[in-house]
Amino acid sequence: MTAVIRTTGLGRRFAGRQVLTGVELAVQQGEIFGLLGPDGAGKTTLMQLWAAILDPSEGQATVLGFDTVRQAAEVNARVGYMSQGFTLYDRLSVLENLQFAARIRGVAAQDFAGRSHELLAMAGLQAYLDRPAGKLSGGMRKKLSLCANLIHAPPLLLLDEPSLGVDPVSRRELWQLLRRYQQHGSTVVVSTPYMDEAEYCDRLAFLDQGRVLAVDTPAQLRARVQGRIYEVRTAMTAAVQAILRDAPEVLNLQWLADRLRIQLHAGADLPPATLARLRGLATLTPAEPGLEETFIALSTAAAAAPPPVSPAVMETQGGEVRAERLCVRFGDFTAVDRVSVSVPPGEVIGWLGPNGAGKTTLIRVFCGLLMPSDGEAFVAGLSVNRQARALRSRIGYMSQRFSLYPDLTVAENLRFFAGAYGLGGKRRRQTIEWASGMTALTGMEARRVSELSAAVRQRLALACSILHGPAVLFLDEPTSGVDPLNRQRFWQLIQTLASGGMTVFVTTHYLEEASYCHRLGLMHQGRLVALGTLEQLRQALRLPADAGMEAVFLGHIEHAQRELAS
Amino acid sequence: MNPRRIAAVATKEAKDVLRDPITVGVALIMPLIMLLLFGYAITLDVDDITLGVLDEDHTPASRQLTEAFTASGVFQLERELTDPHAVERALQRGEIRLALIIPPGFERALTRHEPSPLQLLVDGTYSATATLVSSHALAIASGFGHAAGPPALQLETRVWYNPSLSSVHTVVPGLYAVILMAFPPLLTALALVREKETGTIAQIYASPLSSVEFLAGKLIPYAIIAFVQMAMVIAVGFLWFGVPFRGSVAFLLAISLLYVLCTLGIGLLVSAVTRTQLVALLAVLIVTLMPSILFSGMLFPIFTMPYVVQLYTLAFPGRYFVDISRGVVLKGVGLEVLWPSIAIVAVYTLLVFALAAWRLKKKVA
Repeated sequence: MTAVIRTTGLGRRFAGRQVLTGVELAVQQGEIFGLLGPDGAGKTTLMQLWAAILDPSEGQATVLGFDTVRQAAEVNARVGYMSQGFTLYDRLSVLENLQFAARIRGVAAQDFAGRSHELLAMAGLQAYLDRPAGKLSGGMRKKLSLCANLIHAPPLLLLDEPSLGVDPVSRRELWQLLRRYQQHGSTVVVSTPYMDEAEYCDRLAFLDQGRVLAVDTPAQLRARVQGRIYEVRTAMTAAVQAILRDAPEVLNLQWLADRLRIQLHAGADLPPATLARLRGLATLTPAEPGLEETFIALSTAAAAAPPPVSPAVMETQGGEVRAERLCVRFGDFTAVDRVSVSVPPGEVIGWLGPNGAGKTTLIRVFCGLLMPSDGEAFVAGLSVNRQARALRSRIGYMSQRFSLYPDLTVAENLRFFAGAYGLGGKRRRQTIEWASGMTALTGMEARRVSELSAAVRQRLALACSILHGPAVLFLDEPTSGVDPLNRQRFWQLIQTLASGGMTVFVTTHYLEEASYCHRLGLMHQGRLVALGTLEQLRQALRLPADAGMEAVFLGHIEHAQRELAS
Repeated sequence: MNPRRIAAVATKEAKDVLRDPITVGVALIMPLIMLLLFGYAITLDVDDITLGVLDEDHTPASRQLTEAFTASGVFQLERELTDPHAVERALQRGEIRLALIIPPGFERALTRHEPSPLQLLVDGTYSATATLVSSHALAIASGFGHAAGPPALQLETRVWYNPSLSSVHTVVPGLYAVILMAFPPLLTALALVREKETGTIAQIYASPLSSVEFLAGKLIPYAIIAFVQMAMVIAVGFLWFGVPFRGSVAFLLAISLLYVLCTLGIGLLVSAVTRTQLVALLAVLIVTLMPSILFSGMLFPIFTMPYVVQLYTLAFPGRYFVDISRGVVLKGVGLEVLWPSIAIVAVYTLLVFALAAWRLKKKVA
């Protein structure tokens, strides 16, 4: 085995901020190597250093035997690098984009003919040769970008979050392309924030806050926390949680839709006293660990874990969300197509679907921001058609961008949003106190939002959206860009709010997060193709009980497509 | 330098821009609009100047003098004034730009060959036209005086290169320099920064393209567009504004190709150091359009500026091209006279490209 990439003491600072520190890695020839970590972990920076389009502040890297600083041109000429986001020229057709990629890399005409034919066939793009790249779907764009980076048959391919903005169907096709390419003896490096995607890699590096936590195969990584994971099934969630939260042996507690899941500290075991208190209340069974649990174990071992969040339940008058044959059309494009759903108070419903499936449009209708073209929708008993204004004071909305004022302090943001909801005087003080206590912001009131971490900003955004005690809370991709531990803690807050009676409507890109939701709605091309608990969705397809969310999702979409075709 | 890679970038860029009808339309129409607007708006000619007359003499001679003013074609008799207060009011309201006051006893003094007092009041709020107005008026008045007696000196004045002293003939060749400085750099600056904004530049960085190859490829399609802009502007100047063309057309086109490369290069340089289209746009306007209007000599003659400002104008290629363009168009001169300016533009162009290639480092940070 020869190392294709080798780095020693690699580090990079941006304006005095250390983004990457002491990276020691070797990527072997012929493997698919994954870089797994939350946003801001340093994945993109590391990729750019390897692609020789960024110089390190410390240390060095050799790629395919060339130094990335002194021999950058050699590296550029041999590596395929697909950056995040846009890599295509929108006004150029599929074929022209590919031709451009080939010609700037000096691919001979006869090589181009053969390779482009093969790549386009593999990517299923032969039928769209003359279509401008700007008019392709997100998935097709990614596949074309990948083809453009494979046209010179590079021995090493660096892909920065290739599945960003790609629906599960296209993601699977993308991975099939990568596998086939790897079989020719080439090496692939993929970065991803998704645990389920990381499972496909031969070896993985966990990246957190600019440091490499571990490098190993996915199975070996999971084995590191073997025996520390238990599943707790109970009917008395609140009581059991109280016991487990106080146990010093518990590193982390995950509140899923139908059960709890705990991770113990390394070498710790629940003492007999705790087990005795749980007896009769709950059943404890050892469980198979996931990559996320290893990540949490390793990241909390490297740096002290932030204090756990212990939110106080507050009773809210929850409201029902109901849609009846709801349609939203923009011109002749149907964004939401005859969606009927009813969500009872206190339920957490997860809304999943590829980009452009109509999730955000649907939320905008429920929030009274967009008039439906057809059908009816009611939120907390109010009609979105006729009572949109009254409706807005009964709902909370948190967007993926966390609409906060970065130059105001935490307290100022809270006061502003409370004022915007018409709260004043004593009432305002009380709700701010409650919301900031609930989201563990106490003590941070004087900090400016711009200096907070993504996880704290996320909790502040949540606090701002629940100040007025809404009946229904809409969360649009609330966990993007947050590390696994804080994501799990955020979900605890959501579960707490729901157990107090609030209805919670969540959209998410992380398929793993489906297990936090009581029910799931799957959207595809504007239609609601499946609705039910995760278990029901599995059974509908006769999938085994341990089938992952991705398989469930793909199964239902394929089913819907077959139905549409027939 | 690999010509195949440059050709790849140029082809891609050409297709990209030709499929954007708005950019092409703006690139072709805006220079014409600017030429027409400025060509008509910037005029230093004076005609139909409103004149008020306060005739306190009421004699045939005073009426003849008034006629001499109106017959010149420069002045237009707006009103007859009756008293000094009316004169002031008319000037204040801007009804008249010039007041001619003929005192009592004007004719008598004239017939006796005595110096006869005559008052001209000029509205000086527009200083440039005021000077012209008063010199025209002076010429008419002294001509009227000469008719009464033999002159001491006979001055034969001939204006060369622009005999009709038409300001269009001065402004339009200057506008060639300003227009070719205003629009071509916008094209290149935005084209490169757009790639930075969308992120496609990362693919370029990570490819074997060198920055020189990339810049050269980017330049070619825009050089063609800019060349078309230039040919259009010169044609409209000649055919529409009737600006004479005394020198060689081929020579002017050749030199303006060099000048256009220079301005396109400034656009590339701006885009090499900026990150967003908005900043690039503002930077281009500040470094090209503004100084080319103020300091190129298109409008305000450089030789009348304070010495320090004159030194400052040396930094802008526009001023050299104004000299070249006026030299070729109005004076009919060629390389033998203009070579120093041409050499400076050439050196400037090379410098701008070297700087742009050096600044565009093929690194994301």
